[in-house]
Amino acid sequence: MNESDSNHGKKVGAALVVGGGIGGMQAALDFAAAGIKAYLVDRSPCIGGAMAQLDKTFPTNDCSMCTMAPRLVEISRHKDIEIIPLAEVEKVSGRVGDFSVSLRQRPRFVNEKCTGCGACLSACPLGKLKPSDDPKKPQPIPDEYNEGLSTRPAIYIPYPQAVPNFAVVDPERCLHLKTGKCKLCLKACQAGAIDFTQKEREIIVKVGAVVAAPGYKLIDPKVKPDYGYGTYKNVVTALEFERLLSASGPHLGKVLRPSDKTEPKRIAFIQCVGSRDNERDYCSAVCCMYATKEALLAKEHLSPDLQCDIYFMDLRAFSKGFEEYYNRAKSHGVNYIRCRVPKLSEDPATRNISLSFLTEDETKRQAEYDLVVLSAGLKPNPSSAALKGTLGLEFDEHGFCVTKPFAPVESGREGIFVAGVFTEPKDIPETVIQASGAVAKAMEILAPAKGELLAKKDYPAEIPVAGQEPRVGVFICHCGTNIASVVAVPEVVAYAKSLPNVEHAENVLYACANDSQEKIKKTIVEKGLNRVIVAACTPRTHEPLFRNTIREAGLNPYLFEMANIRDQCSWVHMSEPGPATRKAKDLVRMALAKSRLLEPLQKKQVPIQKGVLVIGGGLAGMTAALTLARQGFPVRLVERDPELGGMMRRSHFLLEPEADPQKHLRRLIEDVKAEKNITVFTGTKIAAIEGCVGNFKSRLAVVGKPEVSVLHGAVIVATGAREHRPEEYLYGKNPSVLTQLELEERLSAGGWNAQPPRMVVMIQCVGSRDEKRPNCSRVCCGEAVKNALKIKELSPETSVYVLFRDVRTYGFKEAYYTEARRQGVVFGRYDETRKPSVAEEGGRLRVTVWEPVARAEVVIPADLVVLSAATVPHPENKDLAQMLKVPLDPNGFFLEAHMKLRPVDFATEGVFLCGAAHFPKTPDETIAQALAAAARVAAMLANDTMALEANISQVIDENCDGCAYCVDPCPYKAVTLLEYMREGAIKKIVEVNESLCKGCGVCQATCPKKGISVRGFMLNQISAMAEAALSPAPLEPAAEPKREEVQTL
Amino acid sequence: MNTSSDPGLVSEVRRYGHFDVDGCYNCGSCACVCELAEDGSLFPRKSLRSAQLGLRDRLLSSLEPWLCYYCGDCSKTCPRQTEPGESMMTLRRFLTAQYDWTGLSARMYRSKWWELGMIGVVGLLTGWIMSMLMAGLPTDLTVQGGVKINEFLPMARVHAFDWAMAAVLTFFLLSNVTRFFWFTMLRDGDAPPLRSYLSELQTLVWDGATQIRFRDCGTNIPRWTKHLLLVTGYGLMFSLIVLFLPWFQTENLYPVWHPQRWLGYYATIVLTVFTVEILWSRLGKEEQIHKFSDFSDWLFPILLLLTTLTGIAVHVFRYAGMPYPMFCAYFAHMMVAVPMLTVEVPFGKWAHIAYRPLAAYFQAVRKNAALRRPAEGAALGTGTQAQAA
Repeated sequence: MNESDSNHGKKVGAALVVGGGIGGMQAALDFAAAGIKAYLVDRSPCIGGAMAQLDKTFPTNDCSMCTMAPRLVEISRHKDIEIIPLAEVEKVSGRVGDFSVSLRQRPRFVNEKCTGCGACLSACPLGKLKPSDDPKKPQPIPDEYNEGLSTRPAIYIPYPQAVPNFAVVDPERCLHLKTGKCKLCLKACQAGAIDFTQKEREIIVKVGAVVAAPGYKLIDPKVKPDYGYGTYKNVVTALEFERLLSASGPHLGKVLRPSDKTEPKRIAFIQCVGSRDNERDYCSAVCCMYATKEALLAKEHLSPDLQCDIYFMDLRAFSKGFEEYYNRAKSHGVNYIRCRVPKLSEDPATRNISLSFLTEDETKRQAEYDLVVLSAGLKPNPSSAALKGTLGLEFDEHGFCVTKPFAPVESGREGIFVAGVFTEPKDIPETVIQASGAVAKAMEILAPAKGELLAKKDYPAEIPVAGQEPRVGVFICHCGTNIASVVAVPEVVAYAKSLPNVEHAENVLYACANDSQEKIKKTIVEKGLNRVIVAACTPRTHEPLFRNTIREAGLNPYLFEMANIRDQCSWVHMSEPGPATRKAKDLVRMALAKSRLLEPLQKKQVPIQKGVLVIGGGLAGMTAALTLARQGFPVRLVERDPELGGMMRRSHFLLEPEADPQKHLRRLIEDVKAEKNITVFTGTKIAAIEGCVGNFKSRLAVVGKPEVSVLHGAVIVATGAREHRPEEYLYGKNPSVLTQLELEERLSAGGWNAQPPRMVVMIQCVGSRDEKRPNCSRVCCGEAVKNALKIKELSPETSVYVLFRDVRTYGFKEAYYTEARRQGVVFGRYDETRKPSVAEEGGRLRVTVWEPVARAEVVIPADLVVLSAATVPHPENKDLAQMLKVPLDPNGFFLEAHMKLRPVDFATEGVFLCGAAHFPKTPDETIAQALAAAARVAAMLANDTMALEANISQVIDENCDGCAYCVDPCPYKAVTLLEYMREGAIKKIVEVNESLCKGCGVCQATCPKKGISVRGFMLNQISAMAEAALSPAPLEPAAEPKREEVQTL
Repeated sequence: MNTSSDPGLVSEVRRYGHFDVDGCYNCGSCACVCELAEDGSLFPRKSLRSAQLGLRDRLLSSLEPWLCYYCGDCSKTCPRQTEPGESMMTLRRFLTAQYDWTGLSARMYRSKWWELGMIGVVGLLTGWIMSMLMAGLPTDLTVQGGVKINEFLPMARVHAFDWAMAAVLTFFLLSNVTRFFWFTMLRDGDAPPLRSYLSELQTLVWDGATQIRFRDCGTNIPRWTKHLLLVTGYGLMFSLIVLFLPWFQTENLYPVWHPQRWLGYYATIVLTVFTVEILWSRLGKEEQIHKFSDFSDWLFPILLLLTTLTGIAVHVFRYAGMPYPMFCAYFAHMMVAVPMLTVEVPFGKWAHIAYRPLAAYFQAVRKNAALRRPAEGAALGTGTQAQAA
């Protein structure tokens, strides 16, 4: 960014986010949290994007809708995010910091009065059309959300949890708009929300910056006619299959094949459909994992014996947890067959699909399947092509937006940032990271205008409940089929109604969805509820949402209680519906017992420190520090080495030939040193970190100097990783055996200093993907290709062999893999059970490897053997993790709060992570994540005060005798012993530091005197729950409840 | 077998024609669609992989390139458009050169000037021998009005020359075939037993006569038919000239229905039509298999066509009673036909006449031998695989 440009002139405290998918949603939320009003524009009638169509997400198998629904709800009710659906960017004028954006919004024909009740949907005659062979008759309208596997009316709500949850009229099909007749929906709508007079309109918004995240579409498998997609009924795309798996899909989660609606027993997945070929020489990066996920889910849905065969070329399980997920799928009986299937054929009688493939033992086999899933690749959303002109962006030959390796979130145009698959195929967390990163870069421009355009949030005054008889509302969630397929939800509702103090009970499809939230609020008001229970997934993810909901209805948020009937009931008792239903009733009864004793609690506001401690002075740490400093936050940057730069100091070139890492590093170090808001501590270790979010106090141990104590509000962990030192393949014994980094250093020093070697053999996965370190190190395949290309550039006569297990050149790295082959680099595969061997013979090295395609033991005489050594976490991570009270994953990398949607946050508030400390990654990925961590910090520290948790320990003065049993066990050092004189005697009592206390309850458990208790988990509340659990269930109501009493939203 | 990797192999093979293995990432599509690839010999992938990895001896011992009839399905399917079908074609040239102990084959495949030069030298040599064998230039005609061919070049002398040529040709071809046999069946040990060779003899006869495997090659039935007709044409012509020359080269003018005439007509029509068709297709490049044409792919049908046309000219001029044109045509005919046979059959493209049926036979022998070794029955194909496994 050019400083002189961004620092003068007016800055508008608003930003435009183009694309309402998970990337755009993240950007909007980060902007709003950081004090910038966000306009979230989507072409479609609602936000949510492609993630809303997914059933579950890899590698955790988390329900996609369950993880994103809270965000949808948060955005829909966020006062500083304005959703502009059905709109497209038409023109952007003005300059960075002060753009004027003209949007064209298509009419919805439904206004804000819509309640999303769905009455119009059932009234629309086009919703009842049946497919007909007569071309003159109107055909049913394919439902886009279900990828055309079901049909919809001409007035519709795209999906149940859609935000905004308003119906929309399809102007292409609506009978009224086409012929002027019909209007049946108008009659059906009780709310008077349908308005056929709406016209297309122009909206002009003033923004300081733009983030474009227009998303992707699947490559149409018809580009490969040999797969018969569109002709063979039982050949579906992966997204269609995702809908078949989904509880909100065409068969409500039953996997039925399209031709005859029977359950398939044999499913094949064909990888790389439309990717990795001559026309599209890139890898779509997500398909290997989504096919693995879909295979696992299909087995879960249908039967563990379901045959799932995945036909692949290189299994690209390159990111965090992926390799382990792949191994898990293999152990669950998913078959991985290494062969690109060239064509499919259909048996016209059975509609089964058959194919031929090659096996590893050199035979050709035929196989027949009931269903074939095409793992189609990703391409940029075709609608994003228009952004080339309107935003002035540069596109590549495939329509992806071009970014530079050291500016991964920046488009060529100042003030316009980019995220998601728009720039390269990527998965959800990387999209989320890039979106947050884009916000960080935008905030460098917009920081001066923070807060200028924010709205004030007004909650209604709290309804006093003291002394009132509890009036409890119970909402029991189906969670699609997550709960309802095991637990008999209506039965639990009926049971809840029979319990004392229950004023209202009902079942909801997704309690977290916007419509249900509105329903809960309405019910609180209508029935005068003063306690609310939601029996659903888990409080871990959803409690804050429901607390906010009841607060919006005027109840104190702590009058909410959650019964965990999914994670702790339907999921763990999947095969025992009867007992699970009984347990769900028990859990509801226990929640009720506690709920009746809940009292209103208030959060305390404390001032926070604006400073940030960044641990690690490599690429990640410096990038994060610099962007935060530019936004005005004081940063302490701590580096254990005597100089800045980290691993990056050893990097001399990248795959992208134009990129110069050393040049970037020099500039970055200069910028960091020149930045007045950054204090650099080199040769420094963290001696201690105390305190908590908003108010940390750390001691820095500077070599040869006295310890420095610093106060800060947040911590960014950017400690990086290092190259594993191999013990095998003669490494350390023969000077001609190097690691990739050592080779890179040798290649960078002006080329071979003597005679170029005749033969270089690279061995991949050294120290990765084995029993000790199951994870893939992600970067090594790209590094090997990079160094091989460099060798070919320096001495084309040198032969290079790369011995790999899978070539994992994901995304645009694929083209460099192709280029390396074109340059004559030979890629030979080895099997993990038959690793290559390196021997010294007559002064030369000799590599022997069993090559499974040629089925031959190949002997390669080599002058240099280069090992792609694993990238391993720093051993000091353990100490730091303990100091910060954050977890490490089994491989020793730091573990983020949520693998999909919170990739730079820790579960511990105020602590963030980025770079190789999280997982090995390339410079552009590191920069994006560093920016993202900075954006999250900036959002957290945007205000001067911070609300503390209300569920914290409270000393009960009359019971505490100061025995201090609770002081030592407190993991947060929040409890201290006070001694004071009273009436001539020494009195003792403990005191709780409310900022430090996390409400874990250890003190309460150790106290023998009932002298300390956690608010919201008071002893009487817990014992009421225990009693409710132990007491025999009250008798079932004598009569079955009437059907109509049990409503579904 | 020596499995040392020879990194120079690919560039060496590339001197024999289009050989784009660099684009290949071994996905297996080519062998999947190939109707002829079977367990143990999953070509083209296996052959191309051997070349990529520099496994020279493995390639030399492989039969796969000869089992491929180049329908082009693999090339159409290849996601990287690396033209595996054409690469197999190039491998056949490379292998022909490897089997040839004289080194001539390698030279003529790598340089069209060598190929043209060899044809030219043998042609001139033939012309010189013909002029030695020539008895006179009789301008008077026979009673029936035909040219006195046997007074120009006496049948017996030509017959002797034909046999001599056949002997030379056979010597070179047989010596190369012996090497082919050595490389593919003997060198790497674990040779199939004689019983296997005997029990698969019918494959040799049947496949040699019909090229029946060509038919299995998916889209190739029309090509098989054309090829078979072409084979009958030159087979007939070759036997008329080498075996039945006394009957064929007469001064009698027979009526059209006489077998001597219509047999000759059949052969020349078939030869003309299909060589023209081959050349036409190669010019048009419409089919996958005709997208690439090496110089050797052009020269062979051109020589065959020229031989036929000059043969027709000899026939026409003889019947028309035009002595000098016939003498010229006869010389031209011999100066094309003889180099075509002596150069193309042992060293050039026509060598497939021996290698293809033998490869089919050897493949059958290998399978037969593998079945006789139940313990190693899983490793169909070469004995070396069994060793390696």
